[in-house]
Amino acid sequence: MKGTLQKVMLPTILVILAYGFWISPDFKEIAAGVAIFLFGMLALEEGFKAFTGGTLEKILKKTTNKLWKSISFGVVSTSIMQSSSLVSVITISFLGAGLIGLSQGIGIIFGANLGTTTGAWLVAGFGLKVKISAYAMPMLVFGVIMIFQKSRHLKGIGYILTGLGFLFLGIHHMKEGFETFKSAIDLAEYAVAGYPGLFLFTLIGIFATVVMQSSHATLVLIITALAAQQISYENALALAIGANVGTTITAILGALSSNELGKRLAGAHLIFNVITGLIAIAFIHQLLVAVDLISSYVGIAEADYTLKLAVFHTLFNLIGIVVMIPFTNHLVRFLERVIKSEPDKYAQPKYLNESALEFGDAALEALRMETARVYGKATDVIAKGLSLDKRKIFSDAKLKQVIAEHARAIDYDIDDVYEHEIKRLCSAILDYTNKLSSADPVIARQISRIRMANQSILIALKDVKHLQKNMQRYIASDNPEISGEYNRLRQRIAKVMRRLEKIRASGETSATSILSLDALKLTLEKNMGLLHERMNELIRDGKVSAEMAISLMNDSNYTYSIIHNLIQINHNYLKSEEGSETEAEHMIALNREEIGTVLADDREIAEKG
Amino acid sequence: MKFDNALKKKLLKKLKSYMNAEAEQLQQEDEGLSKVLKKLKKKEKHLKALIAAERDEDVREMLEQELNVVHSQRKKGITLLSSLRKKVSK
Repeated sequence: MKGTLQKVMLPTILVILAYGFWISPDFKEIAAGVAIFLFGMLALEEGFKAFTGGTLEKILKKTTNKLWKSISFGVVSTSIMQSSSLVSVITISFLGAGLIGLSQGIGIIFGANLGTTTGAWLVAGFGLKVKISAYAMPMLVFGVIMIFQKSRHLKGIGYILTGLGFLFLGIHHMKEGFETFKSAIDLAEYAVAGYPGLFLFTLIGIFATVVMQSSHATLVLIITALAAQQISYENALALAIGANVGTTITAILGALSSNELGKRLAGAHLIFNVITGLIAIAFIHQLLVAVDLISSYVGIAEADYTLKLAVFHTLFNLIGIVVMIPFTNHLVRFLERVIKSEPDKYAQPKYLNESALEFGDAALEALRMETARVYGKATDVIAKGLSLDKRKIFSDAKLKQVIAEHARAIDYDIDDVYEHEIKRLCSAILDYTNKLSSADPVIARQISRIRMANQSILIALKDVKHLQKNMQRYIASDNPEISGEYNRLRQRIAKVMRRLEKIRASGETSATSILSLDALKLTLEKNMGLLHERMNELIRDGKVSAEMAISLMNDSNYTYSIIHNLIQINHNYLKSEEGSETEAEHMIALNREEIGTVLADDREIAEKG
Repeated sequence: MKFDNALKKKLLKKLKSYMNAEAEQLQQEDEGLSKVLKKLKKKEKHLKALIAAERDEDVREMLEQELNVVHSQRKKGITLLSSLRKKVSK
């Protein structure tokens, strides 16, 4: 059904567009403007991708690593560029290229809203307007020349310039197309007093900004109309609120060509501006008093409504930021829930190409690399599922301290990542192993190990999902015994992840790496024994409730399984390159019974000691 | 048709490996086990040195535990190697 609908949709859209072009040249111009704008976004994103892993990333990370820095970045860049829309679309392309994260992007958007108010000051105070759209053509010319250069960075700069050029050109064509509507906007016609007027003018402000593709243009219109006394001061304020909401359309358009991160940011922009607008409408009278007070304090004349409008514009955006800052994390989580990641985009195997299938060794190497990639993603999911940061787990910081720093549970949807990314990639790997099935026993054994490693990844993630539920409930519990036990479970998993990472990265890789895993297996068994002893004590002494004890029992089993599977993944795959030594390591590696014997000997020595 | 000496040697080696595949595999296993056992012996020495120098009780306990594992692995490896050699001599 869905497939048929998709097959019908595209031709229908094309026919409607073609008909629209035939009957209306204005429609043609607007549609072309949107198309050019979207192409500009693609070019911009492509350009920023050239700088990932380099200087730009470092600069952005440094300048946006804290919320206040992101906001300042937004304020400064928008003040310089004099266009919050442009800063929004550039931020969307940063996100699309993976240069910044969503919360950093939201910070920049908050700042951009404040930065854009400097435009009102310039227009109202000095009659100035910085118009960078005049640079569109030179940008395109220089950009295209640079795209033809061999250097990756020059190419990147070329794409960025071309992208910006196309953005401006697209906006220009959209504006041209809307010219006819623009002439129809006569604000004096709609003068209405009170709250109905407030809402009506807010809507007009939104509409005018969407039509003119610039809140600046709307502000100029408002100031001119106010100066000519075509509209009342109150209506002008409502128009400014509307302009603030309407300006989000550019970001929404820009997000169309971006991934889900860009869409989430455009969503954040819309939510922020709508909430700010609603606050401004709800407290309009109080704001008017505040504007008067501020104006008299800074020496703005009583009747200078244009500058008062600038004060109002800055004030209500500032209030919006102050109100929204505490909700930034909630906003991020809400957007992540509403705008889910595209299933196919990230779930594409990177190394499994069909041509490698003809060469056994190359195909095996591709399988290994793909499994390593999935393992990397899985450890990320496990860390987040435990409300921890993978980088901190792999750092040299004391794990107890890392756990203490992450005492609050993070809402993270493991199912979403599992279904959309990991499961698909594991399925692709298993499909590939089926195509590669070989009669050679050595290759067959390696393929089987890779299969088992992938199965272990899936099991470990399922277990983390089960563990997550109670863990989130208990890590910040008032009962120190239960929170302590759950934090201990987190610490154990983190410890094993860290150790495995060290085994993978260090010199142990070439010297008995598979055998190094046996010590981890021993620790796992030993800790399980200790946990059971401690749990019995807690229940006996009444330090935890029966419900807590049952949860802890189940979750300790999940923890055991996660650790066991993490070890198995590494055992079966990561160091499973076939060779006489690796085969010997597999032969020497201790089985569960043998580990048990070592453990028993250990206990005996401890008891004697 | 003339064969040069190098080619003759190569062909003979290949023929020999076809005729005696099992023996070759055993030989490889022997080599693999011996190399790993040597590495384990080194690791055991290294761990002993670390334990002697370690003052932190917890870390020392962990190292001792690892030493026990390595010791058991070596024991298992030696048993495997001797049974392998018995098999070869038969």
